[in-house]
Amino acid sequence: MILAVTLELLLLALVILTAITFDFTNGFHDTANAMATSIATGALKPKTAVTLSAALNLIGAFLSVEVALTVTNAVVHIQDSSGAPKPEFLANHGHVLLLIVFCGLIGGVVWNLLTWLLGLPSSSSHALFGGLIGATIAGLGFSGVNWAGDGSKLDGVLGKVILPAFASPFVAAIVATIGTWLIYRITAGVAERYKESGFRWGQIGTASLVSLAHGTNDAQKTMGVITLALIAYGVWTDTTQVPTWVKIACALAIALGTYTGGWRIIRTLGKGLVEIESPQGMAAEASSAAVILTSSHLGFALSTTHVATGSILGTGLGKRGAEVRWGVALRMVAAWLITLPAAAIVGGVMYLIANTLGGYLGAIVVFAILVGLMSFFVMRSRRKPVHSGNVNADWDADSNAPAAAAPAAGSEMKETLS
Amino acid sequence: MMQLFLTAIGQVLLIGVLIGAGLPAIFAFGIRFLAYGAGGDAEVSHEKPHPLGTVLGYLCIAIVLAVILLGIAIIVSSGFGYHVSFEHIIPTFKKG
Repeated sequence: MILAVTLELLLLALVILTAITFDFTNGFHDTANAMATSIATGALKPKTAVTLSAALNLIGAFLSVEVALTVTNAVVHIQDSSGAPKPEFLANHGHVLLLIVFCGLIGGVVWNLLTWLLGLPSSSSHALFGGLIGATIAGLGFSGVNWAGDGSKLDGVLGKVILPAFASPFVAAIVATIGTWLIYRITAGVAERYKESGFRWGQIGTASLVSLAHGTNDAQKTMGVITLALIAYGVWTDTTQVPTWVKIACALAIALGTYTGGWRIIRTLGKGLVEIESPQGMAAEASSAAVILTSSHLGFALSTTHVATGSILGTGLGKRGAEVRWGVALRMVAAWLITLPAAAIVGGVMYLIANTLGGYLGAIVVFAILVGLMSFFVMRSRRKPVHSGNVNADWDADSNAPAAAAPAAGSEMKETLS
Repeated sequence: MMQLFLTAIGQVLLIGVLIGAGLPAIFAFGIRFLAYGAGGDAEVSHEKPHPLGTVLGYLCIAIVLAVILLGIAIIVSSGFGYHVSFEHIIPTFKKG
């Protein structure tokens, strides 16, 4: 062997690879949050929508230079408040910390892919936090988890994850309901066609804002995690900056993921929950953009997914005669409730496997499990594929897959704008 | 914890309603005015065009665009360590 690869160097490489994979799944899982409504109303063609969203995510990832190094502090005790790893983790090139972060990321990726397969929008940040919590419990015990902070500010699993998750869909739904109601009241005398074409522009604008906000919020989390791993290993020391290559890699990964488009989730959000018109689409995205940007500006980040879903539900409530499919909504809520514990179980089990087998074998085995599960989910998705051509096919109440007899579903797109 | 949480969520709700429902409402007024300006098939009532409607319509849409641009400016600038001050009514950027 010419180059001796130490175990910790291998772990560092696996952490970076898994983190970038997570960032990619974060992108395609969340395309729907911004673009599902524009695709469903035909304001944008599916491919145009994901391309626009990807470009704005890329810009967003570079725009926000605020350092997200302390991202794990919300849920686990492995860093101090400056973002540096706690000194007890620096031994052995940060072996324990690298293993926890690695297994936590696996939990996040696996859960993101499973919910994508089921077509359920679930929070990528919850999946990441869940994975980290599970791996931390397995590695350091329950005291390693920041359950509720010290009570002086909103912190910990309770303050930063659980409470916001319960409140954000309601807040977004209230805003979107009011917005939708107002829009329909104000434009009561306007002809249908004129209204549709006018609001399409508003819809595209507001959806773009949500994409931009997503890029500024979510890409940073992965940047923070990779930088933490680099510091723990000892190849980076600056806690006020993220290495440029990390920034570029994460921005590209989230944009590429967004461009790939999580069509299954786009379909659920755009067609499954509520049948929406352009004015509703605009009300939903305006509500999402306002709630996400306001909350993150107040230092109180809400999950993009929970907000977007609440907004879309709200537009169904705000328009007289619109039908909300509560069965679909309930499935989503169920997915949200189990996201954190499920990702935690995956993260925890991975840590136990890696730690029990130990050394190179442990790291390689858990990575192989990740690759195996990813391949399995992708293969399963091929059975009932959802893509840009059939994403808008009529919603079949019995299953969330496109109706089998919808060969030219692309023609479903209403071309009322002539 | 609960107190802090309710305060934070209350703020988000208040600003969310103002911006997230208020701006779409202004945009809707824009569409309403433009339809009034265009007249004919643009309106359910098929009235004759009113040029004043077109002016008011574009004004509403311009207001919405201006607020959105300001919003983006606030977010981007805070990422670079600036904040926006409304001290002199016209927004200005300040370091720190």
